Amino acid sequence: MRTQPALLSSSLAGFIILALLCFLFVCLPRDLFGQGWRQADAPRQWSFPRDHGSHPEYRTEWWYFTGNLADNEGKRYGYQLTFFRHGLELEAKNPANPWSVRDVHLAHFAITDVSRGGFHRSDRASRRGPGLAGAGAGAMDVHVLNWSARMKDGRIILAAAHDGMEIDLELAPAKPPILHGRQGLSRKGPLPGQASYYYSFTDLKTRGTLRAPGMKGPVPVTGTSWFDQEFGSNQLSPEQAGWDWFALHLSDGRDLMIYYLRKKDGTFERESSGTLVERNGTSRHLALGDIETDVLSQWRSERTAGRYPAAWRIRVPAAAIDVTVRPLVADQELVTTASTGITYWEGAVDGKGTSRGREVAAEGYVELTGYAGSLGGEILEAVSGFRFQVSGFRKRL
Amino acid sequence: MRSVIRSFLRHLVRRRSLSILQLLGIALGVAATVGMMLASRSALQSLGTAVDFLKGGTTHTIARPAGPMEETVLAGIMGDPAVRYFAPVIDRRVRLKGGEQVRMLGLDPFLDRNVRSITARIGVSAGDGKTDEAFSSFLFDSRAVLVDENMAKDLGLSAGSIIATLQGPLKVVQVFSNPSGEPLVIIDVGHAQEFFRMKGYVDRADLVVTDENAFRQRWATGFAIESNAQKARTLSALLGAFKLNLEALSLFALFVGIFLIYNTAMFAVVTRRRDAGVLLAIGASRGQVTGAFLVEVLLLGVAGGALGGVLGYLLSKFLVEIVGSTISTLYFFLRPSALPWSFWNLAGGMLLGSAASIVGSLPPLLELRRVRPVHVLRGRTATRGMSKRMGTIALFGTACLAFALVLFGLSFLHVYVGFAGAFAFLLGASLFAGFVIVVAAPGMKHLFSRAMGLAGRIAIGNIRENLGRTSVAVAAFMIALSMSIGLGSMIDSFRRSLVWWMDSQLRGDLYISTKADVNVPEELYEELKTLPGIGGIDVFRNVPITFHGRPASITSIDASVLERYDRFGWLEGGDGSWERMKRGDVIVSESFSRRFKVGQGSRVTIETARGPAEFLVAGVYYDYASEHGVIMMDRSVYLRLFGDRTINSLGIFIDEGNPDRVKIIEEVKHRARAFGLPFATREEFHGRILDIFDSTFAVTRSMRVLAVIVAFFGIAGALMTFFVERQKEFGVYRALGFTTGDVARMTVAESLGLGLVSFLMSAVVGTVFALILIKVINLQSFNWTIFYHFTTRPYLVTGLTALAASVAACAYPVWSVVRKYPVMQIREE
Amino acid sequence: MSMTPSIIRTYDLWKQYETEGHDGMALRGVDLSIGKGQIVALFGKSGSGKTTLLNLLAGLDEPTRGRIEIEGEDLGALGERGRTLLRRHKLGFVFQFFNLLPTLTAEENVLLSLELAGRPDERLARESLDLVGLAGKEIRFPHELSGGEQQRVAIARALVKKPPIILADEPTGNLDSATGAQILALLTGRCRDAGTTLIMVSHALNTCEYADRVLRMTDGRLFEEISCEGLAP
Repeated sequence: MRTQPALLSSSLAGFIILALLCFLFVCLPRDLFGQGWRQADAPRQWSFPRDHGSHPEYRTEWWYFTGNLADNEGKRYGYQLTFFRHGLELEAKNPANPWSVRDVHLAHFAITDVSRGGFHRSDRASRRGPGLAGAGAGAMDVHVLNWSARMKDGRIILAAAHDGMEIDLELAPAKPPILHGRQGLSRKGPLPGQASYYYSFTDLKTRGTLRAPGMKGPVPVTGTSWFDQEFGSNQLSPEQAGWDWFALHLSDGRDLMIYYLRKKDGTFERESSGTLVERNGTSRHLALGDIETDVLSQWRSERTAGRYPAAWRIRVPAAAIDVTVRPLVADQELVTTASTGITYWEGAVDGKGTSRGREVAAEGYVELTGYAGSLGGEILEAVSGFRFQVSGFRKRL
Repeated sequence: MRSVIRSFLRHLVRRRSLSILQLLGIALGVAATVGMMLASRSALQSLGTAVDFLKGGTTHTIARPAGPMEETVLAGIMGDPAVRYFAPVIDRRVRLKGGEQVRMLGLDPFLDRNVRSITARIGVSAGDGKTDEAFSSFLFDSRAVLVDENMAKDLGLSAGSIIATLQGPLKVVQVFSNPSGEPLVIIDVGHAQEFFRMKGYVDRADLVVTDENAFRQRWATGFAIESNAQKARTLSALLGAFKLNLEALSLFALFVGIFLIYNTAMFAVVTRRRDAGVLLAIGASRGQVTGAFLVEVLLLGVAGGALGGVLGYLLSKFLVEIVGSTISTLYFFLRPSALPWSFWNLAGGMLLGSAASIVGSLPPLLELRRVRPVHVLRGRTATRGMSKRMGTIALFGTACLAFALVLFGLSFLHVYVGFAGAFAFLLGASLFAGFVIVVAAPGMKHLFSRAMGLAGRIAIGNIRENLGRTSVAVAAFMIALSMSIGLGSMIDSFRRSLVWWMDSQLRGDLYISTKADVNVPEELYEELKTLPGIGGIDVFRNVPITFHGRPASITSIDASVLERYDRFGWLEGGDGSWERMKRGDVIVSESFSRRFKVGQGSRVTIETARGPAEFLVAGVYYDYASEHGVIMMDRSVYLRLFGDRTINSLGIFIDEGNPDRVKIIEEVKHRARAFGLPFATREEFHGRILDIFDSTFAVTRSMRVLAVIVAFFGIAGALMTFFVERQKEFGVYRALGFTTGDVARMTVAESLGLGLVSFLMSAVVGTVFALILIKVINLQSFNWTIFYHFTTRPYLVTGLTALAASVAACAYPVWSVVRKYPVMQIREE
Repeated sequence: MSMTPSIIRTYDLWKQYETEGHDGMALRGVDLSIGKGQIVALFGKSGSGKTTLLNLLAGLDEPTRGRIEIEGEDLGALGERGRTLLRRHKLGFVFQFFNLLPTLTAEENVLLSLELAGRPDERLARESLDLVGLAGKEIRFPHELSGGEQQRVAIARALVKKPPIILADEPTGNLDSATGAQILALLTGRCRDAGTTLIMVSHALNTCEYADRVLRMTDGRLFEEISCEGLAP
């Protein structure tokens, strides 16, 4: 899932995201119902590749790529490249002028350089403008300035570069799109409309080049990527404190996605769930009760004093899965205290365990929010002034 | 030694009025200099701050060589690997309803925050809760703007206020802090396009570039890429003449300041002469006497300098306003803020005061060293019978003038050489003061004795007999008056030349918009072309360019229209040039020709949107529109090479004999109004140009005040010294039966006499000075020819100034006379 | 006349001024010898050259020709510095117009003289004023004193540093005759007490009565007078 992709930054992206968070997560705006945005409220008839494209009738949408890669020398890397579209208006005021704003497009780019223990990130935002950013309908074609994800002949081409970080990757799906929840309707809370449409390419054979800051030039890399696309108009409830999201590839070809929605009272939202994808591309929904996760250790951020889970044993007894995963680099925390006050952790992990009784290796990505300070309305109090900005946006919305 | 110094210093207390005069003389000299320097520094500094503030993290800018840039270029820049960040900018001016123009920037808050901070904080202002809508308003409301705090303060704006402009209202959504003094209005880039009617275009993109060479290579053709260093150079070239002007004024202020101090030091010597004689007689060495005098001078210098530092700071606040309005009219819409008070002002003032005091006291000090105790002790003043020495001094003056001539001959080297020449000339002229008094005395005696009787005759005699005092006062006053006449004549000549130029080149019946205003939509041009009765429409477009690394501009016009209606003044070439322009040649302005050493028949290569293009220069024309130089070409050529269809203004020409003239003009006005465009008839247009001209020279004119001050202190000081020196004579006058009124009249006559000599001398010196300013300084710094026109106004104004100052200057001395004369006796001490 | 050794000697002294008017020859070959402790009155009409002689003796001016010896030292050879020192230590001056520094008090004026001689001593200055009868008026400024009192200050100023020679230029010229007589008595009396050589340039005939020796100057030449009677017009 990835309700909140949380690409936060010291700049506008952070602000927009915070606005999104506030809007989606904290202040569930009942008053906004019926303002014209379509709601994710019923199972959807999917049609690919059209549905890889944009769904502008829904307010928020994202294309989310993460991957675990290695170069010829066996050095390992992780990357994350995410594109957002967030609708501010149903119609641009002056559609003839490309600067006239309908959506804000944001993107987040991060590289984990495992051998050097480095973690690098960057983010940006733009309006459509004269070809500056956009999300095409009908096929996957999103870009924010010179970061892009485009599908061509069934393969996805990713390109992004900034300040010494650079990827040029080609992603080939090894499995068909996996629809999460019920026909891709993924519930995020008990109320109607607290849901989104959500599907994934869980197993993308990846090859191309990558460069992290400090490297002389791009190096050829191969590996596996994971792609999520999700769109909807509102989903979360105010009692939620954060979430843990796992996307794991097992070496026997099975892929596992799990998300926990953590409530402030310490319990999990009932709608927390997962999806197991078999080697042959078939998938099954996992309910909260199907999954058992134990946190084995914790990592304390010197920076924020946030205490994050840092190793997990995940069991899905019904599927005979028992794996333990750990971060490839401990510190993959994104800190933005100076601007938005939002801090979260998103990074590459690996581990091993058993699947159907056999030894397997696991790798993938984990996203942890709401551990360093809270993610909800309270943090807004902490950042004086910012509240106005956000609430201004909210009113606007 | 202590007693020696004490004996000198006690004079300061005893002769309070004279001491105060001395102190004020130094203070004002220092104040004038410090004031002018601070003003010019704060103006330039504000400019620097403004430029830096707007620059943000930008390393380069990219634009078309002329005119706006297609917004589609941005997508290309976006993909360039050398570009770390980029941000589109629309950089224009908007005219407020009040007539004032303000810089208005169209920015994209998403991209712009990577290069500067202005838009990064939209909505981020804690406070009244009203700002919370700021960001969405800014993004969605096509009239939403941010204004900077200075402008907000000036116009009383806050979030929610409406600014009325000629192009409709703007709504303030937030006020942002701006460390520079430049008033700024920020609007979303998309709304800016609509506001300025430039859909599909931006003016430039500001870039943060990592690999300059690679970037330049990829964007070599059709684009102008400027690094910050280049921009700074361009800016300093742009401001060069202006800076020079301010520097020159500072130097003149310093010159006058030293003169004032010299004047006051001279008076100090007068009152010490006898003491010096006594001291020498009873065994003090000349070194001790000189030392004591220096201590006194330094004390006055430091105290006067400190006072001057403070006064100068206050003065600078006033001057900054004037200087600022000049900058605004000429270059930017900048209101420089005065520099904050600093104790360096005080220290600088003290240093300047004491340094100038020492320089100014050198001649009197030398005189003091030559004092023959024998003479002073017998009650003689050494200055009498100095007419021979005046001849010698005048010889020095002649040498000075000759040196000035040499400097003028070398002024092509640098404009500073010309300045040095001007100084040498003024200095040389001032050395003639004593000589002129001697020569003019008989005539003046005649004149004054007829006008004022015996008192008048004695007064002129006093002036003639006290050359040591009077020549200095006259010299100082004369210099100040000459500067007033010289600057006045220069400005008047310039103005007349400007009028001539306007009459020959701006002959349209109606002008729609101007270069500095809103652009004219092409639709209007097309529409007007179909209007019957219009003889011709000149389509004017002016764009700044960089030529050989220095600022210049290209103007495109309709050659066939101008050929028919205008009467250009040609330095080279002639009306035949129009025909050649239609075929693709260009003409250049005089300033361009001089600056870049280009004449008829030369070839110039300009960067165009299609790469470099070479042009043949068909002619050189007189022009006062731009000191940086203009290349003028036909619009068809311009459109072909630059693809910029922007029109800055339209000149409407109607044939002389057309009976419907008035009606047609009304119709054109009506149509312009429909587009919300400002227009002006020829007279109004000319009037506006003259207004700008006048405000440009406001600082220069303000220098006249200096003349009055100098006159006041020079003359008042001289009269006071007379009074101090000749108590005994006053006793004699009294014994002879002179009434208080007679003596008062005599004092007035002395004052007027000094004023008259100074003025007569300045009439000649000032005229020559005007010619120097016109033929040397102006030509060197602005590269344009001003035709000297004799006008009486500067002479009248200066004459009245002299009269007023003379009368004011004798007020205190007369009062002293009236108070003390009745009790005077024939006795010493 | 006197057996005492001469303290001042001049040899063929000539002085010409470069002023307009006649030849401007103020002195025409003056030979003079004055003994130590002598009190000399020098008479002469206005412009006869007597002040010029005084200035030359004081080293305030230089002769066009000739030589001056003070205590056997050649003034011309002393240089400016030497002459300044001479004035400081060996000469006292009393002027017609008193020439007190107007900004200094009576005591300060006297002290100034001591200070220049390198012996600033306020007690000595006060004593000196006391000796000329000005006790109690030390802190007055010159303009607060009468003419006679001012001249007394001037005398105190000259005497205080105990110079071997005092030059007085018309010391009574600006005073009424009674006061003039008092001043003359005071000046000559003090000089006699201290053994100081005194040269008084004067118009006033009564000066003669206080002098040991009378000289008369006519057109730049010096003549010795036997008695005061010869001076009468």
